[in-house]
Amino acid sequence: MSRSIFLFFASAIFLLYILAPVAWMVSSSFHGEAEITSRPPHWIPHQPTLENFGAIFQARDKKVTYETRRAGDPATGGYIPSTARNFIPSMWNSLIVAVSVVVLNLIVAVPAAYAMAKIRFIGRQTSIYFMLTTRVIPDIALVVPFFLFIRAFGLLDHLGSLIITYLAITVPFSVFILVSYFESLPDELDKAARVDGCSRLQTLLRVYVPLAAPALVAVVLFTFLTSWNEFLLALMFTQTPNSQTMPIVVASFASDFTISFAFINAAGVLAVIPPVAMAVVFERYIVSGLTAGAVKG
Amino acid sequence: MSATAGALRVFRAPVSRYDQASALWLLAPMLGVLALVAVFPVLYSFWVSLFDLKLTRPQRVPFVGFDNYVEVFQDELFWQSVWRTTSFTVICVVAVMLIALAMALLLNEEFRGRRFLSAMLLVPWAIPYVANGLMWKWIYDSGYGALNGVLFQLDFIDKYMVWLGDSHKTLWLIANAFVWKEVPLATILVLVGLKSIPGDLYSAARVDGANTWARFIHITLPALRPAFMLVVIYETMMAIRHFDLFFILTEGGPAEASHVLAWHVYVETFRKLSFGTGSALAYIMALVTFALAFWLIRTLGRKL
Repeated sequence: MSRSIFLFFASAIFLLYILAPVAWMVSSSFHGEAEITSRPPHWIPHQPTLENFGAIFQARDKKVTYETRRAGDPATGGYIPSTARNFIPSMWNSLIVAVSVVVLNLIVAVPAAYAMAKIRFIGRQTSIYFMLTTRVIPDIALVVPFFLFIRAFGLLDHLGSLIITYLAITVPFSVFILVSYFESLPDELDKAARVDGCSRLQTLLRVYVPLAAPALVAVVLFTFLTSWNEFLLALMFTQTPNSQTMPIVVASFASDFTISFAFINAAGVLAVIPPVAMAVVFERYIVSGLTAGAVKG
Repeated sequence: MSATAGALRVFRAPVSRYDQASALWLLAPMLGVLALVAVFPVLYSFWVSLFDLKLTRPQRVPFVGFDNYVEVFQDELFWQSVWRTTSFTVICVVAVMLIALAMALLLNEEFRGRRFLSAMLLVPWAIPYVANGLMWKWIYDSGYGALNGVLFQLDFIDKYMVWLGDSHKTLWLIANAFVWKEVPLATILVLVGLKSIPGDLYSAARVDGANTWARFIHITLPALRPAFMLVVIYETMMAIRHFDLFFILTEGGPAEASHVLAWHVYVETFRKLSFGTGSALAYIMALVTFALAFWLIRTLGRKL
């Protein structure tokens, strides 16, 4: 009995720690301009409103003028910025980048992982060490050289620059997860397929890829989330709404202290929904991927 | 210990005949991509660090040898940021370890709702750092934030406090936001370690009369060493290079209270537009990270 009471309280503290900050963000996003500045805060809004979300979805046809700005509580300076209209396009930019990075990762990482896990060749150890080493390079060390290249190739403010540079921070991890997984599949499969006359590529695509589905799902998820969430490189290489990704636009709201926190929280909620939904739905694959990827780190 | 061996093992060689041609074919795309986006930039960065390249003065780019490195090392702010980065990293790694251990011990028990808890655990992990940053910025807000609200309503404080703007608290508060997001991954790693402990060890110890605490100290903790090692190495790497929260929450301030190494690189390069010293700094950071990773794996791998 005492055990279950203890577990109950421990779980309650656990949930509070994990979810309270998020719950407060969600609650704040439904606050109106007058309520967001109440002291002490209204934990649950007394007059919930959708105006913050409305501002994002209808920002295209809403003009922010001196008068509409003042419609907010002038004492707090809280208002909805004209850049609200950049938010939805930035989500599209993030999506385009993330999907492209996922596809390129699969094209590059799957054959490489198969070769490292299932084929004997001179330089196998070296290529594994090489892959592991590239995983440790801090992203901030890549910023200066990337910036100079991207400027030289005229790719500044172009989504291509993000797609290329994100490969540096995703490919090593993808290869790593896949090698661990391929390695756990029996070598005999390879032999049998080869005896039956499959080429290397056929063996990979017909035998190993279907068996590695869980690892592939993990790779897709990690790569997608890493690209979706990436901030530092996007901050350096994007300049206008043409190429700005979601984190950049959200950060620009957060760093302007005249913008209403209710609005900022609404943007935060929208930014968080896709990755959190993915993580919770595919929890099993993520946990197994993290474990496989980490245990041999 | 087999798990330790697993942690440090480089993948076993496959049983097959040598097939050099196909292997290189299949590897070529990855090698090409990594050479282009990882190796070449790092080498090029070293080259740039030998020149006095300032974007404010693009026509004249004199070769200066190692002067940029000398300049970096003579900068008082650099050493302060090294110290701050070290404190931040130690705070974060210790806190992540302790909280992750507690959570993993809880999730290792069987009870109703455990599945739900482990699904919720992934919420902070999935949240982008930028959103995490603005969430905590709002919580810490000195005018209307939740932290002030809670403490005030519970009578811990009698007036609203300035949190992020207080240079004694800044680093701790940023560390808290970092820890909140990093705990889930560490918990998963520790949980895997817990699951790998054979149950008979506990039964045997119970027969020998060891109480819960003794079993925890003598069985659980030693068995978790490989998992702890992974967490320490991974979180150290993440904390040292961390940039996003410093940008969102404080921009290195107040004054220079959260001016860490990653922020120093950013300011030097993109605010002062001094790409030479910025490259030198980034290069120093990369080398230190490598050395530290190597050293941690060697020493922790042996001792733990």
